Amino acid sequence: MKRRKFLKVLLGLLGSTIVVTLAYPLVKFLAPPEAESKTRKLVLKKSEIPAGEAKGFTFNNIPVIVINRPDKGFIALSRVCTHLGCLVTYERGKRILLCPCHAGMYDIEGNVVSGPPPKPLQKFPARVEGENLVIG
Amino acid sequence: MGVGGKIRDWFDVRIGLGDFVNVQFREFRVPRNSNVFHTLGLVTVVAYMIQVITGILLLVYYIPHPDFAFKSVQEIMGSVSFGWLLRQVHVVGSSLMVVVVFLHMASVFFMGGYRKPREMTWVVGGLMFLITLVFCLSGYLLPWTQLSYWATTVVTSIPTAFPYIGDFISKVLRGGEYVTGITLGRFFALHVSILPPLFLFLMLLHIFFVKRTGLSTPPFGLSAEQQSPWTEYRRETHPYGYPFYPDFVKKEVFMGMLYLTMMFFFITFFPTLFLPEEANTPADPLRTPSQIRPEWYFLVPYQLLKLIPNKFIGITLLILLVVVFLLWPFLDTKKEPNILKRPVLKTVFFLILVMLAVLTLWGSYR
Amino acid sequence: MRYLLLSLLMVLNLPLGSLAGYREEFEREFLSKPWAGDQVEEDACIACHVAEKMDPRFKNIPQSWKMSIHYQHNVSCHDCHGGDPKDAEMAMSRQRGFVGTPKYAEVPEFCGKCHVGILKNYLESGHGKALKSTGKGPNCVTCHGSHKEDQYVKKASIEIINERLCSKCHSYERAKIMKQALFLTEKKMGELEEGFSRLKAEGVYIEEEEKGLFNIQAEFRTLFHTVDVSLVKERTDEFEKKLEPIDTKVKNTFSELRFRRNFSAFILLLFAGMGIVVFILSKPPKE
Repeated sequence: MKRRKFLKVLLGLLGSTIVVTLAYPLVKFLAPPEAESKTRKLVLKKSEIPAGEAKGFTFNNIPVIVINRPDKGFIALSRVCTHLGCLVTYERGKRILLCPCHAGMYDIEGNVVSGPPPKPLQKFPARVEGENLVIG
Repeated sequence: MGVGGKIRDWFDVRIGLGDFVNVQFREFRVPRNSNVFHTLGLVTVVAYMIQVITGILLLVYYIPHPDFAFKSVQEIMGSVSFGWLLRQVHVVGSSLMVVVVFLHMASVFFMGGYRKPREMTWVVGGLMFLITLVFCLSGYLLPWTQLSYWATTVVTSIPTAFPYIGDFISKVLRGGEYVTGITLGRFFALHVSILPPLFLFLMLLHIFFVKRTGLSTPPFGLSAEQQSPWTEYRRETHPYGYPFYPDFVKKEVFMGMLYLTMMFFFITFFPTLFLPEEANTPADPLRTPSQIRPEWYFLVPYQLLKLIPNKFIGITLLILLVVVFLLWPFLDTKKEPNILKRPVLKTVFFLILVMLAVLTLWGSYR
Repeated sequence: MRYLLLSLLMVLNLPLGSLAGYREEFEREFLSKPWAGDQVEEDACIACHVAEKMDPRFKNIPQSWKMSIHYQHNVSCHDCHGGDPKDAEMAMSRQRGFVGTPKYAEVPEFCGKCHVGILKNYLESGHGKALKSTGKGPNCVTCHGSHKEDQYVKKASIEIINERLCSKCHSYERAKIMKQALFLTEKKMGELEEGFSRLKAEGVYIEEEEKGLFNIQAEFRTLFHTVDVSLVKERTDEFEKKLEPIDTKVKNTFSELRFRRNFSAFILLLFAGMGIVVFILSKPPKE
């Protein structure tokens, strides 16, 4: 009978280990994702970018281009081409964004004009606060 | 009296818990010559429960929209903590579940458990098997991968083999000419909200029938007087059998653990067995992969349809086989309950098993 | 009785089936293909170029194309040569933008329609300047091949810098120095690519990292087209730094996979142990 008692204790031990081992992933699964430390905002001086000009920055590890559209103000777009991930460059004369890898072409709103990209460039919120421009 | 005893007492005074356990489980007896296959029914229930629990949890992060379905599934696999565990359990579980259900059916058939008075239990069980396959099919599309997209395209084109109504059926299934986001919506609804209550209802009915008739006695080594004809309702109580609780439950728990061990064996050592390369590629309606096969449990009808040159005959034959399978208890009218004493049936049974194995292997190796 | 009934049903089935006939679409999707199979591409260019009476010089073009990197990435005839692949009559009409074979000196612009960044750097390079001024320098296909004879456009790699190709025009020495300057970074990128394919085989989806690597690789190779060794050496550090986060990510993913395996093995052992204990307990105690 001693052996049976031992087995029952063992059973309880194993059972509770299983419960804990399965409860841990469950709690982790439902827990909110770890607060992303990188969701910082990017603050620029408005005067850095005159109308019609553009400037590149890095925002949350993503290369971003901020364009000062003469008529509609600032827009912040990801420079990562949606085709294969090359970085697009701003062609001031033609007012387009061109990907050097396979000639994907976007307008300055980030929409695809021609070439292989499947979707528009990612857009980031940009707003003017006094003399500053806040991205994010 | 310990804390546990007090809690038990509290419930016992109010709802007669002890009495309930006595009547439902202690007095519910298992035939003396029962074997390991008698545990499979409950193992199936365990398998379904695991699917339900992991399915509900996956629902927390899954997004049923063609633009996000693939991404959300990949996020579950990649960035959600332990999402991979839940998805793997759900994926491996879906295949193991079909195995267990199949073993359950084959053993019931072999032991003559479908015979009078248990015809309805068999029919309901057969329907549940079919619903299980629909579960598998509809769940297969949800990750919105190349594999799921094209497998669904072909499966939903099968009904077009029927004259006149075939196109219509196919269109209704797809929600249009092609597999699109509309199809995803349909299959999602089917998978998470239409099939589960239907299935639960059939399962309760199945268990109700089992409880009312009592467990069937395996016909092997029975004397003639134990096989008296069934003219009025009586319950097989097996007065000399084992009580379901606590004796048989231990066997059930063991089998449940065996099932879970098998499942984690696959997750540990063969994590990509059910998730090949195409299962990691987002669905692309403009590009058909060169080698796409259905999941292994659909290989039998797949191979059968490929072997029969006329598709209409092939499909009709398949439907006929399903009907025969469902209505088998009514077609089998012989008095002899022991399959070992019926050479024709015995041969047919083993031939079918061999045929299923051959078709599955054939389908997966060509 | 029931067997008779069954066979009767089946026999009845036969005439019904032949009456109904086949459904064409279904046949196409089901009989001729494994489960889903290839999509039939109707392309006027290919249809003619593989035909018997085609000039043997042009006959193997579709086959070379099928072996090329362009085919792998869905770049078809008309993407470079223009024209209309859907209309056999007008396929080679100049009105539909058909270009045909570019002149030797115009090849860079021909390829540069898509490879814009590379074109820019190439034109600034010694190679490009030589071509433009003398009409004799190397153009794209000199090194990368086209679909002429048994060539095909391979995936670009450091192997293209080799003695056979470079010494066609000049001594290999200069190219060798370039190759050495590229070597380490190229090797790192090759290793990462291999890591990606291993991760993919393990069922990990790493599209973002793949695109990141592609971007770095493309930029690095654009840089090479300047054929300016000092510039490559100067900027190698920058590229190494860019590759670092991808490398870390790949390593982390591998260790995550190891953790998953161990965790699930642990659960496996727990359930197996539980099973064994329950099994022993289910045996009636020996007196």
